[in-house]
Amino acid sequence: MTTLTRQDLNFGQVVADVLCEFLEVAVHLILYVREVYPVGIFQKRKKYNVPVQMSCHPELNQYIQDTLHCVKPLLEKGGGGGVWVTRFWSRGFLFLQNDVEKVVVVILDKEHRPVEKFVFEITQPPLLSISSDSLLSHVEQLLRAFILKISVCDAVLDHNPPGCTFTVLVHTREAATRNMEKIQVIKDFPWILADEQDVHMHDPRLIPLKTMTSDILKMQLYVEERAHKSS
Amino acid sequence: MADQLYLENIDEFVTDQNKIVTYKWLSYTLGVHVNQAKQMLYDYVERKRKENSGAQLHVTYLVSGSLIQNGHSCHKVAVVREDKLEAVKSKLAVTASIHVYSIQKAMLKDSGPLFNTDYDILKSNLQNCSKFSAIQCAAAVPRAAAESSSSEKCEQSSLQVSSETPANNELTTNGHSPPTSKQIFQQPKGIMGMFASKAASKTQDANKETKTETKEVTNVSSTGNKPPGKGNVMSNFFGKAAMNKLKVNLDSEQAVKEEKIVEQPPVSVTEPKLAAPTGLKKSSKKAEPVKMQQKEKKRGKRAELSDDETKETENMKKKRRRIKLPESDSSEDEVIPDSPGDYEAESPSPPPPPSPPPEPVPKTEPEPPSFKSSSGEKRKRKRVLKSKTFVDDEGCIVTEKVYESESCTDSEEELKMKTSVHRPSTMIVKKEPKEERKVPKKGTAALGKANRQVSITGFFQRK
Repeated sequence: MTTLTRQDLNFGQVVADVLCEFLEVAVHLILYVREVYPVGIFQKRKKYNVPVQMSCHPELNQYIQDTLHCVKPLLEKGGGGGVWVTRFWSRGFLFLQNDVEKVVVVILDKEHRPVEKFVFEITQPPLLSISSDSLLSHVEQLLRAFILKISVCDAVLDHNPPGCTFTVLVHTREAATRNMEKIQVIKDFPWILADEQDVHMHDPRLIPLKTMTSDILKMQLYVEERAHKSS
Repeated sequence: MADQLYLENIDEFVTDQNKIVTYKWLSYTLGVHVNQAKQMLYDYVERKRKENSGAQLHVTYLVSGSLIQNGHSCHKVAVVREDKLEAVKSKLAVTASIHVYSIQKAMLKDSGPLFNTDYDILKSNLQNCSKFSAIQCAAAVPRAAAESSSSEKCEQSSLQVSSETPANNELTTNGHSPPTSKQIFQQPKGIMGMFASKAASKTQDANKETKTETKEVTNVSSTGNKPPGKGNVMSNFFGKAAMNKLKVNLDSEQAVKEEKIVEQPPVSVTEPKLAAPTGLKKSSKKAEPVKMQQKEKKRGKRAELSDDETKETENMKKKRRRIKLPESDSSEDEVIPDSPGDYEAESPSPPPPPSPPPEPVPKTEPEPPSFKSSSGEKRKRKRVLKSKTFVDDEGCIVTEKVYESESCTDSEEELKMKTSVHRPSTMIVKKEPKEERKVPKKGTAALGKANRQVSITGFFQRK
């Protein structure tokens, strides 16, 4: 007689959490590898059982965290999913349509023109199923591979000019705008609609870095690089 | 011909796939001995450099040798970038070995990606991680599954005992930064000690860990203020509570390790120990990733086990604390602290003694003696001050404090511990199924134990 324990796991939340954690690590790592900020502000931390570089500048960290906090609700969105969990196995199915198409980390030069864009294209597989025990460790392994790829992306990219800054763009579906406004009010972290000049890059080169497919997440990372960076 | 194939493979990995090719990774991927992998990498570098094909290659080397530092001679093992190679070599008094560690297209800013590269492939080859290794120990044989499970059980119980006292000490001392920094310096010793006492194949990892540490120093020396910062980093990263737990884990695991491992070759132990002094000064964070790797790889279950163990001990302590509270209230308690006896004192009372007590007692009194005889466990007799709760003639529940000599059993205490922890509404007395008495008035309706001379006030005190 198995007793059925009903656990209302919101898969959207799980996926959003995993993704936001990863994006935070990735942004820090990009800033480190592309030398947007001096190396001295970074320290070694551990994520997914490997060393990663994270900044210890409080304002920078706060900015990145706030950014991703606002993105998280958009990733979560997809309606409540109920999961029936029995004592011995769990199976969950959820149809998700998340609002976020891609999250882009843009590196801008002194004139505020983009030189590089690290594009994280995020989709969720059509049928989310969390039925495997080793799911999360598998996802962790895939995310580790992403981290490794970002660490060596130097080899395929040109050097950036000095004095670069960065920003984060989020490409969303139409319906997300209303949500964004709500979130902004709650979190007190204003987002603005991006200007064309922030988004558009003249004559970009596309360099794919890594792709991953898992039960809960599909993600692709590529870099759009401006052909002539120092001009 | 075979050489050509290998070279093509390496070329594909490095140039086309933009991978970091370490000798270890290559040996697992191609299924060759590590020395052969090192040779292959060296060949590849030489050829590529001769061809001068324009593809930029960055190479890291592993250098080891003896070093005179502060008048002491120590063995240094370091992974260095090519541009720092000569400088490091010149510092060594005797250079024992130099070989290619990795080849990659990108210039690495730190050693993190090297670790990352090896992590997954090592994890997937955990069972035969020394298959291609040059460090072998004939006595290091994997244990049979049955043996390992029974030994883990013994270690669990010993860990529970040993991990409590260190945790207690740390809680009292760990108030502010100086103690935590001491902890940090102790911790590398713990980690290093663990590495030193591990099996032969694991010394490779220990070497790598010291290597990566020294690499960090040799490569990134320009960043400046490292040593003071790193100590704080460690504590910042983990926070104090986690540090305590970590320290407890380390200590207990170290104790276990040193118990377990008997037949280690002394030679392999000295090498990491010699490297340890240099490693100690470096950031202990480095130790963390490798330590975590160690934990995962070598003791897969153990990490979770020890976490569970510390949790268990904390729960045990909490349980004990809860039970002790009622005791302290009864200040006239004369029980000599026999450990089972402590719990027994104020917690839901055991059955009263067979000798009829002076005051009127409920009807179910006769049950306990028969019950006791059936359980057949260890009994002790002591005089205990107890609150007796019973229903008098008028149907009122009365509680009196009385000295009684009683016998108690270990299992009864256990049951009491368990039942005392539960919330009153969910309490079920398994041993005495007959007492389903209603307990009115005081709102403890779910108790159902009143006729067993239970101290009802015990519940209120525990809150």
